[in-house]
Amino acid sequence: MLAIQLAITGLQTGALYALTAVGFSLIFGSTRIFHFAHGASFVIAAYFFYATFGAGWGVIPAILASAFGAVAFGLLLDRLVYVPIQRHEGSFFTVFVASFGVGIAVQNVIGMIFGRGYVTVNTSLSRSVEMFPDVYVSPLAWIAILCAAIFLGGLQFFLRRTHTGMALRALADNPELVRTFGLNPRAIQAAAFAIGSVIVVPAAIITSATTGLSPAIGHHVMLISLAATIVGGIGSISGTMLAGVLLGLAESLALLIVDSQWTEAVTFAILFAFIIIRPSGLLGRATAH
Amino acid sequence: MSAVLQTAGLAAGYGGRPVINDIDVVLNPGEVLCMIGHNGAGKSTLLKSMFGLIAPDGGQVLVDGKDMTGCSPREMADTGIALVPEGRGVFPSLSVTDIFALGMHAARVPKPERPERVDWVLGILPVIREFMHRPASTLSGGQQQMVSIGRALLSRPRILLMDEPSIGLAPKLFQDLLAPIRALQQREGLSILLVEQNVREALKISDRAVVMKSGRMIWEGAPEELSDNDKLMGLY
Repeated sequence: MLAIQLAITGLQTGALYALTAVGFSLIFGSTRIFHFAHGASFVIAAYFFYATFGAGWGVIPAILASAFGAVAFGLLLDRLVYVPIQRHEGSFFTVFVASFGVGIAVQNVIGMIFGRGYVTVNTSLSRSVEMFPDVYVSPLAWIAILCAAIFLGGLQFFLRRTHTGMALRALADNPELVRTFGLNPRAIQAAAFAIGSVIVVPAAIITSATTGLSPAIGHHVMLISLAATIVGGIGSISGTMLAGVLLGLAESLALLIVDSQWTEAVTFAILFAFIIIRPSGLLGRATAH
Repeated sequence: MSAVLQTAGLAAGYGGRPVINDIDVVLNPGEVLCMIGHNGAGKSTLLKSMFGLIAPDGGQVLVDGKDMTGCSPREMADTGIALVPEGRGVFPSLSVTDIFALGMHAARVPKPERPERVDWVLGILPVIREFMHRPASTLSGGQQQMVSIGRALLSRPRILLMDEPSIGLAPKLFQDLLAPIRALQQREGLSILLVEQNVREALKISDRAVVMKSGRMIWEGAPEELSDNDKLMGLY
């Protein structure tokens, strides 16, 4: 029964990891911008929900406020930081340092406003009920899995069937050719940031009601996103989804053989194993992009 | 005859390093102008600066006599110009169907007209029909070049800029590729600026030729004159 319990918990964690990592993967894959502040998008979404829901806004307005916060942050960061750096032929490293700096600034501002300790959103949905003998699952676990299925399925449909989705894939392939077609790469890049940022919202909200939040959670989110992107295969959205779920499951099932303080190390053991044995990841291309 | 596309004293380069200087080139309505020159002569830079992919450092780009210097590729496309870029102008991860759909979306082809446009292009380049649903990454060089030209034609341009379409293609394949384009050009009065290193094949379909060397135009005249000029032909 313990294995079933851990598998269900792992699926919930994996669904949240997948949602978080896919946003980063989409942005990085299509724009080549190492958006380290993706973790800050998660933090902003989570704390917007925490603050507005706590202020009695109701679930739907609080979700919309959370989405607004994440998307506005992503778009402003793109327009005010990344685009000016790119305009001046900024290197990959310059973009990374700028993004890292913004992530730290967001963490400190959130810490000043809400405090540095853990906070949690209280809801009856986070209370576990006994599904089978000795197997307890909260409704939020099913909501997390359902949200991941809807958002990730919707994203795949969007990327394959809409012109903006095709343009995002085209941008990942060849930005100069995108201009030759008469499309605006900056507008497509902004779309990548808007979509990549909004996808973290369900993960941020569910996390605020399950494990809780701290301003520093963005670093953990970023590390998981990076690990899932590499394990899944850089540039592969499907691979990142799969890797997110697998990492969540592995972290949880590892409790069968190791103590809880080692679970995060399992993620990085898997990451290092992939870097050494299969650097192209689960579904990535074998050659450098 | 007034030029459909023209440059006057055009200069352009990369990062402050000049590549082309003082270029005056004229493309007349309904003609095929062939531009030849070695690697590094500045042919591709000229096409890119004419299409708005790089900002000119000086001079003018005129479309139908109207100054379009510094306009974006979007604005140039709106005047009826399409560019077939150097290399393979396809997105490897997209299928041919997706590339055509994206091309028509970018060219703002009205939705009801899109199936008809695709049929029109498939009438010109019927081979594409065989691999319409395949990802571009799985196509041969010649197939990718056909798709790139087909995508450019989907906007029904009146001016087509082609940057070395023969690269990586066997001479026979290049001939097969150019023949329908020449037929289309003669039928519809398309103006084509063809940048090529495969001089002999390109001259066969051209009405006029210019030669570029080290960022400057050094010769201009009829293709037969160039073919008879042993000194110049010896260089290419």
